[in-house]
Amino acid sequence: MTNSMALSWLLLIPLVLSLVAFASRWFRSATRFAAEAAHLLSVTLVLAFSLWAVREVLLLGSIFELSNWLHLDSLGAVFLLIIGVVGFLVGIYSIGYTRHDLETGEFDNVRLSTYYGLFNLFLFTMILVITSNNIIMMWAAVEATTLGSAFLVGIYRHPSSLEAAWKYIIICTVGVAFGLYGTVLVYSDAFNVMQIPGNAILWTEIIKNTQALDPTLIKMAFVFVLVGFGTKAGLFPMHAWLPDAHSEAPSPVSAMLSAVLLNCALFVIFRFATISNLVLGVSFAQTLFLIFGTISVAAAAFFMYVQRDIKRLLAYSSMENIGLILLAFGIGGPAGIFAGLLQAVNHSLVKSLMFCTSGNILIKYRSRNLDQVKGMLQVIPFSSVLMMIGALALVGVPPFNIFLSKFFIITTGLGAGYLWLMILCLLCLTVVFAAFFRVIVAALFGAKPDETVKGEANWLTLAPGAVLILLILMLGLYIPSPLMNLLNGASGMMLTGALSHSLALITMKNILSPLARLIP
Amino acid sequence: MSSVTLVNSLTGLLILTSLLVIEIKRPRWSALMYSLQSIVLVSIFAILAYVTGTNQLYLWAASAFLTKVVLVPWILYTALKRVGDPEKPRNVMGTTFSFLLAAVAVTVSFIVVNQIALKAAEPFKPALAISMAHFFFGELCILTQRNLFKQILGFCLMENGSHLTLALLAFNAPELVEIGIATDAVFGVIIMVVLGQQIYKNLGTLDTADLTTLKG
Repeated sequence: MTNSMALSWLLLIPLVLSLVAFASRWFRSATRFAAEAAHLLSVTLVLAFSLWAVREVLLLGSIFELSNWLHLDSLGAVFLLIIGVVGFLVGIYSIGYTRHDLETGEFDNVRLSTYYGLFNLFLFTMILVITSNNIIMMWAAVEATTLGSAFLVGIYRHPSSLEAAWKYIIICTVGVAFGLYGTVLVYSDAFNVMQIPGNAILWTEIIKNTQALDPTLIKMAFVFVLVGFGTKAGLFPMHAWLPDAHSEAPSPVSAMLSAVLLNCALFVIFRFATISNLVLGVSFAQTLFLIFGTISVAAAAFFMYVQRDIKRLLAYSSMENIGLILLAFGIGGPAGIFAGLLQAVNHSLVKSLMFCTSGNILIKYRSRNLDQVKGMLQVIPFSSVLMMIGALALVGVPPFNIFLSKFFIITTGLGAGYLWLMILCLLCLTVVFAAFFRVIVAALFGAKPDETVKGEANWLTLAPGAVLILLILMLGLYIPSPLMNLLNGASGMMLTGALSHSLALITMKNILSPLARLIP
Repeated sequence: MSSVTLVNSLTGLLILTSLLVIEIKRPRWSALMYSLQSIVLVSIFAILAYVTGTNQLYLWAASAFLTKVVLVPWILYTALKRVGDPEKPRNVMGTTFSFLLAAVAVTVSFIVVNQIALKAAEPFKPALAISMAHFFFGELCILTQRNLFKQILGFCLMENGSHLTLALLAFNAPELVEIGIATDAVFGVIIMVVLGQQIYKNLGTLDTADLTTLKG
């Protein structure tokens, strides 16, 4: 335990700077400058403090703040790292993207300040989800992510984006309300055992007392939690809002929704899965994960195959990847959880790259439909390369990062005896591959429409993509040891409830050894 | 009548007011019915505070009075005045069928609540079952009503259900928790109302059946 202030700063910075961004509308001619400056400062400091907090977790095992209401352990650190890195890169991309919207008149200064205010508020709510040790506050934070991002989805006020925002807020609020039921049941049960309200509400205290919790109640609570927060994570069949919201939002927001928000919802499910694992044994949560994971992957593959809208394709791909992460957790064991978390990290990087690139397509073609988007290589060559690499990475081609995690999921599944499930999974991944191949070929090649002018929008819409590609390539070849330790610590924690990170269990050698056997 | 019986009976009134919120024709009247329901909820909180000797629950009652009896209905009522309070479009299903579903929700909730073995909740099991059923009523309202504002009221009903469950099971939780949840609920309504008004302004409709651009 430590008296670090990293988590408090992490929450305070985006909250205060979001208010500054909101207020910038009254700065008249300086509105754009003030809003962008507040935003840039916020995403940069969030990255810096995330790295600081992650470092402390690596050194100390876990950190607590504000009378233990805030907490970060290895599992939280993995997700905080995603928020920090993706938040920063997509934040930079946002500046380039919204400047273009200002030029075309899609945004005025007031809407720009609203955008940056909401973006950073959204960032704050997601950090609160990850760092909250108080389980009911964690629920409130998840609900707040919906409220913070609904206006972002509908910010263009087009009929379709308003419709998407409405569906998003209604479906997610209803879903997350189920999560509240699960949360309250866990709290009441913990209070019954512990008799101290201030402790029964803290996740770290609940997992110390799991032996006395009521199994029937925890079973019921976990089902509520999985359905509730699963809605927010976009699991099939509660996914209806996801393709609409992710495709209608401005592209940087789509990136944040897909690459960060879905993970936050999964994180909450994993927190409760740890309780369920300790009370009921691992098989209860694992079975549910296998069922929801498999049907989500299969359904997403089907939807992807019939898509002609690039952003909807990417949205369904997020559903497929979330399903895959859950499937890995369903396979279970240290290796399954490790593989699932690695997939979460990898997917978030690739998906933010893809959504940012789809934003560049929208800027140029003013359309996401494949009937209109053609000849990208001639029109926006740099974005085309970003998209090509992103798509290859997304379908799991080596040497990019997702290959490694998908490969590890499949080999772990085979090792655990899930032969038929893995065959089904590979079939679905083949369909996904075909869907992407079709889209990429159609968009990159062919004759460009006459009215489309060649040239990229501005360098700010490209630079974050280039950095993401470096990260994607690096994680495909080598996983740095701090990340390795976090992933191992997180999987150990989920299985045993031990807060300090365990010794490294899985190594790069474990991941690649089946491959070594395949290559003579 | 003992206070415990009084609490359990008052929750019966919640069912009645919920059905009124769902089935009344004009959304503006539904907003008033919601306010009426919140008065019942506030009374339940106050009685619970008295029975359990939990001072915190008096605070819950006071904040629920401000937000649910006054603020939220007022926001909805004035917003509906602004959009002209169009009579609700035809429902997805008939009233009789809605009532049948409501009965099913109550039955299921009683069965589920019977499985719960919590000492603190033992005397209030009927109330707990109704709070859970309430939550399903809200969902029923969202699923069966095509008017955007009626869907917001559905959210409010769900929220009342959750609030009562919290009061019965987690009344001793730290104060900040209740404040967090109440803030979420009020902001939820405000954001939905603003979004509903934007939809009305840009699309000229409050009927969800007209929101059909996004498919596939």
